[in-house]
Amino acid sequence: MQGCKGLSVTTDLRPRVRVSRGRRRREGLARAVLALAGSLSIGITLLIVALFVHGSLPFLRTVPLGEFLLGTRWAPIHEPASYGILPLVGATLVTTGIALAVAVPLGLLAAVFLSTYAPPSLRRVLKPALELLAGIPTVVYGFFALRLVTPFLQRFFPSLGFWNGLSAGLVMGIMIIPYMASLSEDVLYAVPRSLWEGAYALGATRFEALVRVVLPAAVSGIGAAFILALTRAVGETMIVALAAGRTPTWPPDPTQPLLTLTAAIVNIATGDHEATAFIWSAVFSIGLLLFLTTLALNTLSYLVIRRFRERYA
Amino acid sequence: MRRKAIGRVFAGVAGAAVGVSLLAVALLILITAFQAGPLTSMRAVAEAGISLSLRSLEVPGAREALTYVTIAQVVAGSPAAALGLSRGDALVALAGTGVDRPSRAWEAVGRAPGGRAVTLPVVWLPRAEVALGGLRAEWRNGEAQVVMVSPSAAAREAGLQPGDVLLAIGGIPVSGTRQAWEALVVAARTQGVPVEITVEREGERLTLFWDPTRTGELTFVRDPLRAWWSFLTTLNEPRYPERAGLLPAFLGSVYVVLVMAAVALPLGIAGAVYLEEYASQNALTRAIEILVANLAGIPSAVVGIIGLEVFARALGAGRSILAGGLTLAVLILPIVIVASREALRSVPKTIREAALALGATRWETVRHHVLPYAFPAILTGTILSFSRALGEAAPLLFLGAFLYVTYVPQGLRDSFTVVPLQIFAWATRPQDGFAAVAAAAIVVLLSFLLLLNAGAILLRNRYQRRWSE
Repeated sequence: MQGCKGLSVTTDLRPRVRVSRGRRRREGLARAVLALAGSLSIGITLLIVALFVHGSLPFLRTVPLGEFLLGTRWAPIHEPASYGILPLVGATLVTTGIALAVAVPLGLLAAVFLSTYAPPSLRRVLKPALELLAGIPTVVYGFFALRLVTPFLQRFFPSLGFWNGLSAGLVMGIMIIPYMASLSEDVLYAVPRSLWEGAYALGATRFEALVRVVLPAAVSGIGAAFILALTRAVGETMIVALAAGRTPTWPPDPTQPLLTLTAAIVNIATGDHEATAFIWSAVFSIGLLLFLTTLALNTLSYLVIRRFRERYA
Repeated sequence: MRRKAIGRVFAGVAGAAVGVSLLAVALLILITAFQAGPLTSMRAVAEAGISLSLRSLEVPGAREALTYVTIAQVVAGSPAAALGLSRGDALVALAGTGVDRPSRAWEAVGRAPGGRAVTLPVVWLPRAEVALGGLRAEWRNGEAQVVMVSPSAAAREAGLQPGDVLLAIGGIPVSGTRQAWEALVVAARTQGVPVEITVEREGERLTLFWDPTRTGELTFVRDPLRAWWSFLTTLNEPRYPERAGLLPAFLGSVYVVLVMAAVALPLGIAGAVYLEEYASQNALTRAIEILVANLAGIPSAVVGIIGLEVFARALGAGRSILAGGLTLAVLILPIVIVASREALRSVPKTIREAALALGATRWETVRHHVLPYAFPAILTGTILSFSRALGEAAPLLFLGAFLYVTYVPQGLRDSFTVVPLQIFAWATRPQDGFAAVAAAAIVVLLSFLLLLNAGAILLRNRYQRRWSE
C-alpha cells in the first residue's frame, strides 16, 4: 500500500509548498532589507534625540535650567549674554494662540459642513480644494502676512508694527484650517451611522443629533486634531521668521515685533555673525525643547486617535 | 420649527466657514499675483539697458533726507548706452514723471500709453565730474565750502568760473562736493530747470540759472511673456530686482528634490512594505508607527539643525545639494511611508491569498502582485510629497547660501538655493521692487505646484482601480 503513505492525516494545516533554496534565500534577504528600512525611522529618531542631547549639553551644563526656562531676556550674541527663553516661549504662545483662535473654529465648522451638511457633489469639490490649500508653501503664507495682511491691518491700527505677531498668527491660522478641517472631518466621518440614526429615532433634528450625540462621540478625535494643529503652530517657522520680526520682547505684545522659538533658531542660523559653539549649543537646547514638546503632543494625539478608532472602527 | 431653524442657521454658518477659508486664501493669492505686475515694466527698463539704485541726499538742517535715483549699471551696447547714459548718472525724470525712487521709473514705463513698445522722454544728469567738473571742499570761516576748481564746459557756459564758491543749489545749502551734485539732481527734479545756483565770487553773491540736465528718448519694450520668460531663465543679479532671475533657485529646487527622491522613495516604500506586508502587530511595530507619526510632526526648523549637524558637518557634505536632499529626505520619509502604506492597504487581501495559494513566497507576492497594483496610488502620494518638499524652506535655511547663489549648480557638492528660500530672501529686502519679484516667484512656485498636484490627481483617476470585494 505504497500509495497510502501520502494520505496520513496531519494536524498541521500550514501550506506545504516546496520552495527552492534560492527563492527562500531571496525571501529572507527581502525581509531583512525591508525590516531595516522599516526600522529606519527608529534609527533617525534616536539619532535626533542623541544629537540634540549631545549638542545641548555644553549649554545646559553652564546655564542653570531655571535661568534658561524662566529668564526674561534673550540676548545670546550681546554682551553680557543672557539666555532666558521666556520671551521666545511667550512669543510662540501668542502666535500659536492667535492661530488656533482662527483655525479651530473655522476648521471645525468646515469639517462639520463637509461631513454633515454638504451634498456629495459639493463635498467632492470642496475637499480637494481645502487639501490644495494645505499644499501652499509656508513661505508663501509668510509673504501674505508680511506684505498683504500687515499693511491691510495697519490701515485700521496705525500703531501696528511692520513686523508683528498678530498678522503672523492670523495667517498661520488660515494655514492650519485645512489640517484642522481634514483631520476632524475624517473623525466625524468615522462616527458610525447608527449613532445618527439612534438620535433621529429619538426625534432629534440633524443639528441636535450633531451637537448632542455625534460631536460628543467624536470629541477625543477632535481633540487629537486640535493637538496636531497645535504642534503645527508651535513648529511653524517661515511665517513667523518673515512676518513676526526678530526682536525678543517681554512681555510679548502681539502688535509689536516678536521672536518665537523657531524664529530664534533661524535667526542664529542665518545671522551675519559667526555663531560660536556655545551659541550653537543654545540653539540645540531650543531645538531639544521644541522636539520634546512636539514628540509629547504627537504621541498623545496618536494615542487618542487610536483609541477613537478602536472604539468605532 | 424653531429647532429646525437653529439647525439651518448653523448649517449656513458652517458653510460660510468653508467659503471664508477658501476665499481668503484665493484673495491673498490673487493680490499677490497682482503685486507681481510691475515685473513687466521692471524688465522693460532693465532690457533698455539700465539698472537703478536709490540714493539719498542730506540737506543740512532738514530732518528728512531727499531721495534720488542713480543709474547703477548700463549694459554695453544697449539703447541706453547708445543714448549716452553711463554708470553714476542720475535719472531725473522719465515720461514726464519725476523719479525719486526706482519704482517711480517702473511705474512710469508701465503706465505710459501705447502698445508693446513705447518711446519715452528721459531726463538725466551726468555724474558729478561730468556735470559740474572739478570741485574742492574747503574749511573757511568755520564752515565747509565748496569751490569750483575746473568747471565743466556746460557749467562754464552757464557762467560758473574757477574759484566760485557754491553756496546753494535750488535753495539747498551746499555742504560737500558730492552733496553739491546731489542737490543739483534733486533741484532739477523738484523745481524744474533751469536750476537756481547761488555762488560767491570775489566776495559778491551771484545768482545763476543753469540747466545741467540732458534729455533723450529711450524705447522700452513691455512684453509680459518676455519679461516672465527672462525672469525664469536668467541668472540672479542679487542687487537689482529688475535683473532678478529665478533660474539658479529653480534648478536648485529640482536637483535637491531629485536627491531627496533617490533617498526617500526606496527607503519609504520599503519601510511601508515591511510594516504593511511583513510586520506582525507587536510592540516594535507599534513603536515604529508612533515614531513615523512623530517624525512627520517635527518642526522643520529642527530638521534643519539635523541637516546642518549630521549631513553638512558630520558626514562632510558641506552646505551642498547633497546635504539639502538628505535633509529633505528626513522630512519627507514619514509622508512617503504613510502614503505608501495606505496604497498597499487598498490592495484587496484576495490578491495576496491567490498568489500565496499558487505557491509564491511572500516577497514574490509583494514584488509581482501587490506592488504593481498599488503603484499608481504610491506614485500619487509620492508626487504630493514632492510638492511638499518643493515648498519647504525652513530646513534648507541652514544649508542654502540663499541670496548669493548667482550661478547654476553643477554637481552634488555645489552650494545651492531653492525657490522658497529665494522668495524668503526677496521678501525680506526692503528695497523697491523686491516685493514684486518675490510675488512673481510665488506665482511661479504656486503654478508649478498646482501642475504637480493636478498631475497626481490625473494619475490617480487614470489608474485607480475599483475593487469589487
